[in-house]
This record gives sequence, structure tokens and C-alpha cells, in this order.
Amino acid sequence: MSHEAHDTHHVNYLTIFFVLTGFSLLSYIFDILQMSKGVTIVLVLAVACAKALCVMMYFMHLKFEGNWKFVLLAPTTILAIGLPLALFPDVGTSYYTSVAPQTGIWEGEISEYQAHHAQAKAEAAAVPE
Amino acid sequence: MKMGIPIPNSKLGMWLFLGTEIMFFTAFIGTYIVLRLGSRGWPTDPEDTHINVTLGFINTCVLIVSSYFVVVAHEAMAQKNFQKARTYLFGTLALAVVFLGIKGVEYAGKISHDILPGRIAETPTQAIQKVNRELEIVVRDRFREYTDAGVVPADRPDDIVSVVSQISALPGSTPPEGVDDDVFAEFQKDAEIDVELFRQWMNLHQHVVANVSLAVPAIPTEYLAARGNLKEGEKLPTLKFEEVEKYLADLKANEKFGSFVTAGVFDPHPVVYGNIFASTYFLMTGFHAIHVIVGMILFVAVLKQGSQLDGRWTDFVENSGLYWHFVDLVWIFLFPLLYII
Repeated sequence: MSHEAHDTHHVNYLTIFFVLTGFSLLSYIFDILQMSKGVTIVLVLAVACAKALCVMMYFMHLKFEGNWKFVLLAPTTILAIGLPLALFPDVGTSYYTSVAPQTGIWEGEISEYQAHHAQAKAEAAAVPE
Repeated sequence: MKMGIPIPNSKLGMWLFLGTEIMFFTAFIGTYIVLRLGSRGWPTDPEDTHINVTLGFINTCVLIVSSYFVVVAHEAMAQKNFQKARTYLFGTLALAVVFLGIKGVEYAGKISHDILPGRIAETPTQAIQKVNRELEIVVRDRFREYTDAGVVPADRPDDIVSVVSQISALPGSTPPEGVDDDVFAEFQKDAEIDVELFRQWMNLHQHVVANVSLAVPAIPTEYLAARGNLKEGEKLPTLKFEEVEKYLADLKANEKFGSFVTAGVFDPHPVVYGNIFASTYFLMTGFHAIHVIVGMILFVAVLKQGSQLDGRWTDFVENSGLYWHFVDLVWIFLFPLLYII
């Protein structure tokens, strides 16, 4: 019974493995390429979603399971997406706007340090070895 | 006839458990994303975070290979090739050890730079205060050796001024009762060095408390003279982070006590939002590592059967495999979120 679904299909796991490795390499390359932050974020998250789909569909056999998978996973998926959406207005967009010391009372001091540090780094990089 | 979902109860149980696990990790990942989006200036420079993308990538590959091994092991179980299943499960277990080993190297790198929640200075002022605190701990630790050995009376070992005056008097004194002559001679030799270390810390401490540049002498008469010479509206120069950085570098380079300072005081490096970064990093990767350990326990339970492994363990291997793929799945998202973005 437990292998009903498994026995009725054949998956070339080695191919899935190479696809996953290729995707991982792609993420690493995206990091090295030094593209704009926004593009990198979109690309690496897209690759992560593709990898997750591969693992779930083939390694976890969800592609070959019955419709029960939707009944079981839909509520958790909705709750999982709902949590960050619910947090976002309170934490992500309000808490750190004016109240946090990092963006308020400390900001001048931090900016001054960062400017000095960046200048010191640039000077160190400019000095030939 | 079987009522309900057409899968074994154990598999249904595992999927229900994985449903709760999805929410568990999404809570962390979601909170991380929200906090990060709300924190302008979140640390991303590897110099600040000590994130090693290459190690993260290697760990990603390790988990992918291990996921492949598990699925092959499950297939071998279904084909009743138990020897092959054992071999691949052992490979999975070995890769889990490799994963944790690499994670351990990463954690050690962070711990050695004090990148830990609640310990990171976020501003230059906090960095100065951290240096001052850590230097005080170094001095107190050195002095505790004298009080613990009974070389100086320990009526009030925390009274650092009283202890330093007693240590200062050691070179010309005789050993107290119960203290070996050779031990006492060693402490006498170190006394001058430790008193000098105390003076250096006290100098910094006074400047930190008064928030006055190290260029202004801490000697009361000279300090008061400098204040007295100020014109209307003028202030003494404040203590700058760069001065403390240089001061600490000089202390660390000192031949006599530099090694104590190096061992006890971290190089100051303010990282804005460093604490919340460290909290989220250790929370997510720590819980993930705990899941890896649980997976290892499941595999050990199967491998313990040795040559007795048979078809009765097929469902167990399948469910352990599902769990392991989930562990891989979580890492698939943690890698880009923590290491690349």
C-alpha cells in the first residue's frame, strides 16, 4: 500500500540531483556577478523556488500523490504566507521608521563612522602592496 | 476498504508534522524578511557579518547530495536491496556530519569575532564602551589570580583599587603565610606588568566616563588646567572611536601584557543592526541544525539494525526521507536569504 504510488512511476533521481546542483551553482554565480541588488534578489529567490519545487515534486513524490496533498498543504501554506503579511504593517513599515535609535539618535554618529571607515578602506585599497 | 486518505497512517502523520514544520520555519523566515525590510542599513558586508558564501554553497551541495542518497536508499528499500539502502543511508549520515562540521566552522568564525546576539556594538560610542568593559574584565581576571592564590588578602576582591594598591606593594614584601616562595616570586615578577595594565585601562576608563579625547591628560591637575583654559562656549574635544582603536592596537602590541589584551578584548567594529542580524542568523541556522541532528538520529535508528534491516523498515525510511527532504528544503531558502541577499 505504502509504495503504490512509488511503484507506478519511475523518476531518474540522478537527473533531478544534477538539476538541483546546477540551480545551486546558478545562485552562487548570481552572487559573484555583482548585479544590482534587486535583480540578484529576484533571481536567487526564483532559483530557490525552482529548487524547492524539484525537491517537493520528485524527491518528496508530491507529483505522484493524490489530491490529499492539496487538502493537507493548503492551510499551512496560507498560514505561512499570512504571517509575514500580518507582521509587515506593524513591524516592517512602522517600528523602525522613527522610533529605533539606529535611524534616530544614533544616525549621525553611525553615518560619521561609516564615512570614515569607507574612506580608510578606500585609502588602504589604493596603497600598492 | 480503507477510509480516508489513501496513504499509510505513518506517512499521513509525517505530512501533518511537516505541515506544522512549514509554519514553524516560515514564522522565522517571514519575521526575518519583515525585520530586514524594516531596518535600513541591515549589515550585508562580509566584513561585518562574517558570512562565508562559499561555505554556504558547499553546505547546499552537501544537503542536495544527501537528499539524493536518501531517495536512492528508499528506492533500494522498496526493491528489497537492503545492503544498498544501508550504504546510502550511511552516506547520508556522513554528509549530515559534514554539514554540521562546516556549520561549526562558520559558528566558530562568528564567535571568534564576537558576532553574537546582544554583544555587538552598533555605534562607535557602544564600541568604545565595549572595549572599556572588556579591558576591565581582563584586568579583573588578572587580579583574581592574585586573590585566588592568597598572594594578596581577598577581603574585598572586587574592590579593584584596594587590590591594585596591594599588588603594587608586592615587589618589596614577603610571602604571606601559606603561600609558596616560588609562587610568590612569580607573582612579584608579574605585579609591575599587571599594575601597568590597570593604569592603561583606568586611563581609558576615565576618558570614557568623561567623554574626553585621549589627547587630554587624565591626570586631575592637567585635566582641570585644560578645562580652565577653555574660552566661553568652548568644550574639550570628545573621545573619538579612531583614538580608542589606535589605543587598543598599541595595548595589544605591548610586549608585556599585549597577549592578555589580545585574548580578552575584541577588535572594535560597530555594526548597525548587528544584534538583530546575529539573532535571526543563529535562530534560523540553529533550529535548522537541530533538525539535522534529529534526522541523523532517525538514520542511526535504521542503521543500527545492521544486517537485520528488512522490509518492515521501508515506511520508516520513506518517512525519514520525507523529513530529510524538508530539512533540505528549509536550507534551500536559508542559503539565498542569509548568504546571498
